Amino acid sequence: MKKIISLLLIFTFGLSSCEKDDICDANTPTTPRLVISFFESRTPLVPKNVINLKVVGKDSPDGKGIVFNTSGDDTTKYLTNANKISIPLKTDADSTTYSFIYDSGNTNPAAVNTDVITFYYTRQNVYVSRACGFKTIFTLNPSSTDPVSNPFIQTDPAGDGIWMTRLILQTYNIDSENEAHIKVYF
Amino acid sequence: MFLANAQETSTKAVTKQPAQSKPKTEAAKPAIQEVRPDSIKTDRYGLRLGVDLYKLTRGLYDKNYKGIEVNGDFRLTKKYYLAAELGFEDKTTDDVRLNSSATGTYIKGGFDYNMYQNWLDMENLITIGMRGGFSTFSQQLNSYKIYNPNPYWGEQPAIIDGQKYTGLTAGWIEVTGGVKAKIFNNVFVGFGVQLKLLVMNQKPSGFDNLYIPGFNRTYDGSFGIGFNYTVSYFIPLYKKKTIIPVLTKPAPKK
Repeated sequence: MKKIISLLLIFTFGLSSCEKDDICDANTPTTPRLVISFFESRTPLVPKNVINLKVVGKDSPDGKGIVFNTSGDDTTKYLTNANKISIPLKTDADSTTYSFIYDSGNTNPAAVNTDVITFYYTRQNVYVSRACGFKTIFTLNPSSTDPVSNPFIQTDPAGDGIWMTRLILQTYNIDSENEAHIKVYF
Repeated sequence: MFLANAQETSTKAVTKQPAQSKPKTEAAKPAIQEVRPDSIKTDRYGLRLGVDLYKLTRGLYDKNYKGIEVNGDFRLTKKYYLAAELGFEDKTTDDVRLNSSATGTYIKGGFDYNMYQNWLDMENLITIGMRGGFSTFSQQLNSYKIYNPNPYWGEQPAIIDGQKYTGLTAGWIEVTGGVKAKIFNNVFVGFGVQLKLLVMNQKPSGFDNLYIPGFNRTYDGSFGIGFNYTVSYFIPLYKKKTIIPVLTKPAPKK
């Protein structure tokens, strides 16, 4: 009898320690973003901050850039001066195109430089938990000439030259945001 | 004054007398009860078979649920009952980000201990017990949503999947508490609650067991809960006479 009652007690304590699992915890790793870090091109080990970089997705739903600074106003919240950015890839398509506008908002039009990069990848949907559902992880396409395949293609439709002089892929697998996937030298 | 004093002493003397006589009657009582035929009680032993009305009726108002559970117990001793449940469940779980269906059968076996001291020929039960449970089932992932904390490209609609995971098994132990009351003849109604601990859970690769027939919904840990409401019929098989030992034992010591 006493054993049964003590067992019952253990059960109820165990139940009360259960965590609420209806809300997806923000710390749970879910769909990762593409992480790009910037470096000084002459001294490749030194991280370099960008100046008022604005990143706008091609055909994005609201036509605006990625919000880097939530506390900023209508102009400054889309700008970053950090040496590392994280940009979301489309989870319903196998490519995503972004415009990287350097020194956006500068009154001198010659200072503004826009590079366009399209990322090509394959997607995989992975189960996370009841509360979070699934996440999408990405694998950038391999570099090969036959068949033609590229992890990304950099273009300069604005004709102002490229400011990202060198892009070095660190990993093809984008399954977490822990480390930079691409290093950019400029 | 004298009169008053005299009266007080006299009343004291009167009250003392019944007090002294009390132990005598108490000592005499067990001796009388030993002979009384009321102290010999017949207990009926047999098989009780029932059905879980909660599972049965839930299908009427919950379109995502179909289930049935039959349960039975067999009286082993005065207090202990062998108990078992057998069931089938088909449940569609609609969470915010996932919609999945689990279908399968389960069996539970164990014992119940009756804590209730019945008067005369009453046969009610207040039980605590334990069960081991085992389920074989399949799961179908109907649809899911991608969780994206940075919905720059907009929230994606739910993706229809339809992947079926078969041959899944799970095992658990549970502690049960319940009440069964005889309402007429051999018909009993009762309800019970179960606290469950998952000990074996074969998860499908790339998905999780969100609902296990017999265990009910799973949580992050390995605990679960259950509830049943049963109507059962008692089939008497044989009788045993028991002498109530509570009152007769202390008599010879005194």
